[in-house]
Amino acid sequence: MFDSQSLNRRAFLGQSAGGLGQAALNSLLMASLVKASRGEQIEPDAFRQYAPKAKRVIFLFQSGGPSHVDLFDGKPSLEKHHGSGLPDSVRGDQRITGMTSGQKSFPVVRPIVSGKRCGPAGVWISDMLPWTQKIAGEICVIRSMHTEAINHDPGITLANTGSMQLGNASMGSWVSYGLGSDNQNMPAFMVLISQGTGKNPGQPIFSRLWSSGYLPSHHQGVMLRAGADPVLYLDNPAGVSRAQRRKLLDDLAVLNNHFAEKTGDPETMARIHSYEMAFRMQASVPDLTDLSNETTETFDLYGPESRKPGTYAANCLLARRLAERGVRFVQLFHRGWDQHIAITRQLPNQCRDTDQPSAALVMDLKRRGLLEDTLVIWGGEFGRTVFSQGALGSPVAGRDHHGRCFSIWMAGAGVKAGHVHGETDDFCWNIEKDPVHLRDLHATILQQMGIDHHRLVFPYRGLDQKLTGVEPARVVKEILG
Amino acid sequence: MRLPILGILFVVSPAFADSIAFNRDVRPVLSKHCFACHGPDAHARESELRLDLRDEALKGGESGKPAIVEGKPDESAVITRIFSRDPELVMPPPDSHSELGPDDRDTLRQWIAEGAEYEGHWAFQSPRKSVVPEIPEAGGNPIDRFIAARLAEEKLKFSAEAGAFTLIRRLTLDLTGLPPTVEEIAAFKNAHSADPETAVSELVDRLLASPRFGEQMAVRWLDAARYADTNGFSIDGGRHQWLWRDWVINAFNENKSYDVFLTEQLAGDLLPDASEQQIVATGFNRNHAITHEGGTIPQENLVNYVVDRVKTTSEAFLGLTMGCAQCHDHKYDPISQRDYYRFFAFFNTLDDAGLDGYAGRNARPTIEAMSCFADPSEAEAIQKQLVDLRREYEASMPNVQARREVVWRADLDSVGRDFKAHPLGVIAATSPNGDPERIKVQDDGSVVLRRGEFSAFNVACRLPVGEGPLAGLRIVFHPTDSAKGKLGYGSPNGLEGNFVLNTLTTSTSSFPAGNVDLNAQIPMERITASTAEVGHWPHEITGTATDGGWAPATGSTTPQQLTVTFEKPIDPAVTPYLTTELLFNFGAGCSPGRFQIFAFAGHDDGSPHPEDVTAILTAEASTLSQGQHERLKAYFQAQAPEKAGIRHQIANLEERLAVITRKHSVLVMNTSDKPRQTHILERGVYSAPLEAVNPGTPAALPALPEAGDRPLNRLDLAKWMTRNDHPLTARVAVNSLWEGLFGTGIASSSADFGSQAEWPSHPEMLDWLAVQFVESGWDVKGMMRLMVTSRTYRQSSVTTPELLARDPGNELLARGPRKRLSAEQIRDLALGVSGLLVERLGGPSVRPYQPGDLWRQISHFGSSSATAQSFIQDHGEKLYRRTLYTYWKRTLPPVNLAVFDAPNREVCTIGRMSTNTPLQALVLLNDPQFVEAARALAEWLLESSHPDDSSRLASGFGLVTGRPATDGELKVIEDALARERGRYASESEAAEVLLEIGEVPRNASISAVEHAAWTQIASLLLNLSETVTNH
Repeated sequence: MFDSQSLNRRAFLGQSAGGLGQAALNSLLMASLVKASRGEQIEPDAFRQYAPKAKRVIFLFQSGGPSHVDLFDGKPSLEKHHGSGLPDSVRGDQRITGMTSGQKSFPVVRPIVSGKRCGPAGVWISDMLPWTQKIAGEICVIRSMHTEAINHDPGITLANTGSMQLGNASMGSWVSYGLGSDNQNMPAFMVLISQGTGKNPGQPIFSRLWSSGYLPSHHQGVMLRAGADPVLYLDNPAGVSRAQRRKLLDDLAVLNNHFAEKTGDPETMARIHSYEMAFRMQASVPDLTDLSNETTETFDLYGPESRKPGTYAANCLLARRLAERGVRFVQLFHRGWDQHIAITRQLPNQCRDTDQPSAALVMDLKRRGLLEDTLVIWGGEFGRTVFSQGALGSPVAGRDHHGRCFSIWMAGAGVKAGHVHGETDDFCWNIEKDPVHLRDLHATILQQMGIDHHRLVFPYRGLDQKLTGVEPARVVKEILG
Repeated sequence: MRLPILGILFVVSPAFADSIAFNRDVRPVLSKHCFACHGPDAHARESELRLDLRDEALKGGESGKPAIVEGKPDESAVITRIFSRDPELVMPPPDSHSELGPDDRDTLRQWIAEGAEYEGHWAFQSPRKSVVPEIPEAGGNPIDRFIAARLAEEKLKFSAEAGAFTLIRRLTLDLTGLPPTVEEIAAFKNAHSADPETAVSELVDRLLASPRFGEQMAVRWLDAARYADTNGFSIDGGRHQWLWRDWVINAFNENKSYDVFLTEQLAGDLLPDASEQQIVATGFNRNHAITHEGGTIPQENLVNYVVDRVKTTSEAFLGLTMGCAQCHDHKYDPISQRDYYRFFAFFNTLDDAGLDGYAGRNARPTIEAMSCFADPSEAEAIQKQLVDLRREYEASMPNVQARREVVWRADLDSVGRDFKAHPLGVIAATSPNGDPERIKVQDDGSVVLRRGEFSAFNVACRLPVGEGPLAGLRIVFHPTDSAKGKLGYGSPNGLEGNFVLNTLTTSTSSFPAGNVDLNAQIPMERITASTAEVGHWPHEITGTATDGGWAPATGSTTPQQLTVTFEKPIDPAVTPYLTTELLFNFGAGCSPGRFQIFAFAGHDDGSPHPEDVTAILTAEASTLSQGQHERLKAYFQAQAPEKAGIRHQIANLEERLAVITRKHSVLVMNTSDKPRQTHILERGVYSAPLEAVNPGTPAALPALPEAGDRPLNRLDLAKWMTRNDHPLTARVAVNSLWEGLFGTGIASSSADFGSQAEWPSHPEMLDWLAVQFVESGWDVKGMMRLMVTSRTYRQSSVTTPELLARDPGNELLARGPRKRLSAEQIRDLALGVSGLLVERLGGPSVRPYQPGDLWRQISHFGSSSATAQSFIQDHGEKLYRRTLYTYWKRTLPPVNLAVFDAPNREVCTIGRMSTNTPLQALVLLNDPQFVEAARALAEWLLESSHPDDSSRLASGFGLVTGRPATDGELKVIEDALARERGRYASESEAAEVLLEIGEVPRNASISAVEHAAWTQIASLLLNLSETVTNH
């Protein structure tokens, strides 16, 4: 049965008389067999409850806490109250971080730059975001996001893994776990990082934000970097050519196949597969990152920085290319939104880095017919205080963290275009209408991917773990068309 | 033979044909589907009905009707409700998303029909030593008799014993984490053919006595204890906790009994006359993530830290997931919120601070302690080695030095040739932190700075167009009035009136870029300065250490300059803009007052050497004095690249000497003079305290009596956990040892022994082993010995399709274990077989190869004095230490280990999953660590005295896989070798560049073509699936 076979390429290609590998390789069975031999449960797709609207997600994560007051939630009342103290009745029991809890006064600061009402819903968008103003008819702004976190580490961990506690699985890894990959040559979940010019370095980010937590580790996000070796260890060592590597991998496959046959080891069959995918990735990733076939017009659309690898603009362009290649979950992390100080100098820079490329991505996806099944999300872990951190009007002044309300926008894949959801009070401090917790956002993202967030579970440590955790979460149906 | 396709979808299930067993069959169903609303959590309970207690279920809830009627399923509300088709009535309700399957419903019906007998949760009952089944043919080891009994029920048999080659490899990997050597294999093969039992027994004795045993065993515990080298949260600065890690290794090597292992880690500080090492052991409860993120609320952090101690202690030692009860009564297990905070109270009495651990200082409380590996004989040996090495360092190398002098002189010959400097127009100069007004660009393009700390200044400049390519940058620092006529603001405790430029990073772009582009840093080839403070030489700016960097001579009142020449000139016609980042991170006020940036064409007119050395190098050789010759020689020794290897060796050994002869800091537990009072926290929120509680253990477990006149403490807890009849401790421990060897625990949910736990595959055996463990005096090595000498463990792992279909997870153990090697074992194997491995025990963690500076791309580098913000690679032996000593940065764990399923160590991890991904292939094929190992393995094979290629190949194959290759396999590899030779013969340059990878010097007497071809073959061997599999 597992008698030693003649070791040649023909045997590897499966033209000999059967055996474990031949029956199972390249089949769905292979995956189940490997899973079963690891003792993993084989669950039917019980969580696929809806027809998916989104085939893929692009999350443009703005790390540090973009100021909703300055960017999306400007209103006349802020002009009126500018300079006066934030009333205690409004401030309520809101926790304040250690950075401003010692302040004697909490003067309200109006948006640092004016804005205008845009799009069919007349949503206020800052003049620091002229390109976002242009796509107001394509996006849905949610002004009533909220989170319990008031500091970066717990905040960004909650926004990306559904919990402030360490050890949970990230959004993208959940989607990879639930839906797998649509492209045999690419990971299902890819991560791109950039640093803004508003505040450099921005708050640190962590591999935890794209980790697989308790899920099997092949669901963790794969970092796509600028420069050589866009995926770590992708390039052959110096002095090893692709043709040479191909032949060596053929030899390796023959030897591995022999071992699998002899021992009945499904993992080894899977490993042969992995090596082949690695070899394909060595071609598909450079093809992905090679922007030479992008037109000048496209570069112009995304702005001058799109030609410079590693920038937010270049990453937005790459996000589109990843979307075209069927990568399920593309996540950008852009650092530098933590404007405690010098907000009047820092924030315009952050906006300049991100405004045009973000809008360009939406426009580009739309004209290519991809926006209808690509969900784009722009947002960070919390907002910023309406009151001044530091003396009112000082060039050093900024805004502190604020989790009680903040703004994000979404576009594509069945999200209402030109829509606005939720309202805050006159001070951009409390939510007046339609609160949306980060968990609700997670539930909504999964739903658009065709997943019931209650049912996409992973048994771990005595609990059916979910992205949305144990607290209630609801799909924000009001923003879905 | 075709695989029976449907067959594989069946997994082994308990034999339901007979009668129902509550714990095996019913409790999991009730726990999963019913307890959330009808279980221990009083707040979540619906209709006042509990189904976790029999009396309550018989009585029923608020309806007054019994939920269960013994023997009468059709009269039991539970049954009518779960079978109901009315969405208003059916249980569980549809909106709970927890449907019962038909099998589950039938199980409950049958259970009630049979009398609805309850049993206490199995894992909460003390284990009893059940009778070992009488199965004479299974032999004397009780493990085999338990396994054989179950196999007989399933009509299966043991597989044959694995062959000698497989056995020694399996045992050596499992007990030491390393592969056996060729000599060990040959010796065992001989001994095994003479007397297999004795051979195995002696082998196991040898392996258990190896110091490598502790290193192998430690890894699993480091995962559980979330050991790491950084603080984890937010800025994730460095900490020093390796003394605790070494304590763990040593504990396994000394075969510390498990009850003591537990007690010292939980309460070593409370033991009478606690030794230093017993206090070090308590570092276990300080391994949690810690933050110094500005703005966080100390009280909240302190709660988070205790929460993590509770989580880790309960999961790692007790297999209990208590975390749910932080916010509410546990939904499944009988752990109330009160129980939780009583347990919490044990770990809430120390003198820790909410924000701590900044700038590389350990978070309080800490002690200074000696390493448990402080061994005078090693210190003595190192002293001797250092004497030899220093002698070698100082030995004359006239030819090498002469060649180096030629290079230096040639460089100086061209100094200043065609030199032309252009002042650059500054577009913007910014800093991430502090007052933006602190930094001002003057009309002349110079940048003026006010006093301040820790700043990275990004200066964006316009390059002169039309002047041709530019060779490099010059930065001139000027004295200022604000710096009292000096160059910088250094305070008397630093370099007074001076500055330190730690790091200089430059990139160019086609448009003005506010920030330097880390992905496009321009490499620097030559760095000179007008003056330098001793120890702050110009070339230090290529590093990222905060204590390194260039400083001009302290006290200067005249302009001083630094000049860098790029590896390749930059062309303003292509990239007209340049951004450079100047980092002043030294502290003590050491930042400058004013600087101006120039670009230059031609050759730098400065010398990269100190003034006196430059004078020597430019003088006529015949005119040099003896003193000048000595000076030049000393300079050569200290600076020449040819001496780098020995400099690293000396530095590494000097550090090692300090490690084993001095005290070092470690985070530990203590008891505060004013311990915090613990309260139940409403919904787990730190700011919502309810009733005060004292330390205590969960009510559902054996009672821990109060201590009378004092509150219970961690030592009381440890004594309670190590009670002989404790239901959890011993079971969890032996299950963990089993999982390490077999890949899956006897109870497969090894971190959860609560009511959601998987029913053990062999419950009687688990209990027998647990009791045996306690009776043996908690003897870890003894238990390992019992397991690995069992026939069960020693079976062949070869699988037939039938058996694979029947039992894919190998739960029944009709075959031997097969596992992919762990991340650590894979790297250690490559280092081991290539002869690179440095077997040194313990010490501070090391930083072997990592691509680029990944840390800097995500960290707070340049904005804080936290350590571990930038990756600085080590050299020499630190590249080849065992993998468990690799520096573990929590927010970016070692990438080549993470792809092989190493956890990030942020939280307690019990056992690892094993995945199989293309990224793993890329690491094994392309990571310099593995390419270098292949090169070293090739060198070893080429240096060894084999008569021909075939025997050389056979030897390499045997070394890596632990068995002889078949003729067929050899033929494949021989053909590959011929092909690789042809490839490199036709392109010898490719061979040269391949062989340059890795820092270990190569034997240059081997032909490059031959060496490169064999390197490819060695890489092929290291990539074999068999190589990375323990089978």
